[in-house]
Amino acid sequence: MSQPLLSVETINAGYGLVSVLHDVSISVMPGEIVCLIGSNGAGKTTLLRTISGVLTPASGSVRLDGADLTGAGTKAIVRAGIVHVPEGRRLFAGLSVRENLLMGAYLRGAGTPEVRRDLDRVLATFPRLAERASQDASTLSGGEQQMCAIGRGLMAAPRLLMIDELSLGLAPKVVDELVETLAAINKSGTAILVVEQDVATALALAQRGFVLDTGRIVASDSTRALAESPEIQKAYLGAELELAG
Amino acid sequence: MLALQILVNGILLGGIYASIAGGFSLVWGVLNVINILHGSFVVLGAYMAFFAYTLLGIHPYLFVPIAALLLFAIGLAVQYAIVNRVIDAPVLVSLTLTFGLTLFLDNVMLNAFKADFRKVNLRPPLGIIDVSDYLPAIDIIVPVDRLASMAFAILLVALLYWLLRRTSIGRAIVAVRMDRYAASLMGVDTRIIFAVTFGIGAAMAGAAGALLSPIFPISPLASTAYLGKAFVICILGGLGSVTGVLVGGVALGVLESFGAYIFGPEHSLTLSFTLLILLLIFRPTGLLGKRGFI
Repeated sequence: MSQPLLSVETINAGYGLVSVLHDVSISVMPGEIVCLIGSNGAGKTTLLRTISGVLTPASGSVRLDGADLTGAGTKAIVRAGIVHVPEGRRLFAGLSVRENLLMGAYLRGAGTPEVRRDLDRVLATFPRLAERASQDASTLSGGEQQMCAIGRGLMAAPRLLMIDELSLGLAPKVVDELVETLAAINKSGTAILVVEQDVATALALAQRGFVLDTGRIVASDSTRALAESPEIQKAYLGAELELAG
Repeated sequence: MLALQILVNGILLGGIYASIAGGFSLVWGVLNVINILHGSFVVLGAYMAFFAYTLLGIHPYLFVPIAALLLFAIGLAVQYAIVNRVIDAPVLVSLTLTFGLTLFLDNVMLNAFKADFRKVNLRPPLGIIDVSDYLPAIDIIVPVDRLASMAFAILLVALLYWLLRRTSIGRAIVAVRMDRYAASLMGVDTRIIFAVTFGIGAAMAGAAGALLSPIFPISPLASTAYLGKAFVICILGGLGSVTGVLVGGVALGVLESFGAYIFGPEHSLTLSFTLLILLLIFRPTGLLGKRGFI
């Protein structure tokens, strides 16, 4: 088995005196889509924040392709190739869609040919952003904002794209569209770690999943095995199965 | 004709005011720091221009970029070494800090330069333009020094706008203003952006000081008056937008000109603060009524 792209080992992290994550270990292989599921308050966002360097773990390590990035800070971590698309999109209001996308390439310099090529590519991936490129980003619809946030992340040319709450507040049709686009982005070589409250969507998108519960990893397997596991069905898919039945 | 003359005087004054308020508004908007030091930075820039002219013979208008650079360095250092320590504290803490720093700087200037009012007396003076020489129907005069200072001041504000909207660092400043957390996820080092922003604010103050050195008396005691004007302009125009600074600056300039004519020049400061209080009561969002992003 090849070396993992991202490996998080026995992380303990939290805010001040409140510890949220307890001995959390996850990994993402090159070219893989991995999902992180769990209920509210389980620590999913805290885990992403620790990986992206917003939080420094009390113990444990974060490695990208073997290189230790623990506590390196967001700047070094973005530069190394990990990008965190935050929950709630958090686009820069007052800046146009194009300016938002360029902010994603902040560390690469806005004028370089590579950045211009990536901008064209992102606009080609999301044609609706191309139509609205000079529009204030805060005027976009929810789905378009998520596209812009993902596009902004891609502008950093990441090796690993982390998306917090992909589908939250979006119409099912938009979510399907995003899932398709992410699969295409993944095919072109970018590994993806996605936090998703809609477990059915998460399991359909990803190849492998981790289940986080009150700060601990309680299950990890292929998404197929997770979907068939009675505990997962009971805890996370129960309501939906009843509805579907 | 008199009303037109007063209006022209007010617009000339207002353009210069806009450059005083630009940096103050930027720092307030981006850092959420009410920089009490701003007025002292204006005075420091004016003193630098005064000594550059009297000792070295450098024309104040040519000295504007030098004043901006020197004040940029001072502002950058003050922010990075001192103000950054309290940047996440409530706004009152940084206000108190910059208030302390301004007492320090004002007293250093008092000690070094004395409280005498000084002024750059340009030799030869720039004179006046009598508009009726060109348009006989319009009987007003325009002092050339004020006209030139206003033109440079508006150029400065336009430069600030260009910097914020068309450059990578400017985009990062706007991004940090809008969402610090999201900006840091893009790899933006917010501490450095804060320091650069504070530096740009100080540079604007220094440049404004150099521009007004041939027009207004220079004294360490003037710093609070400049600070007060910056305050009123930000409230008038709406906080943190370049267009707001221009609108607010010109509005204050025109109002002060008419006020000085009607009530006497000694009441112009009273008038601006009365206006400030009225605005805070009746229209706290400013004349333009929108939250700016610079």
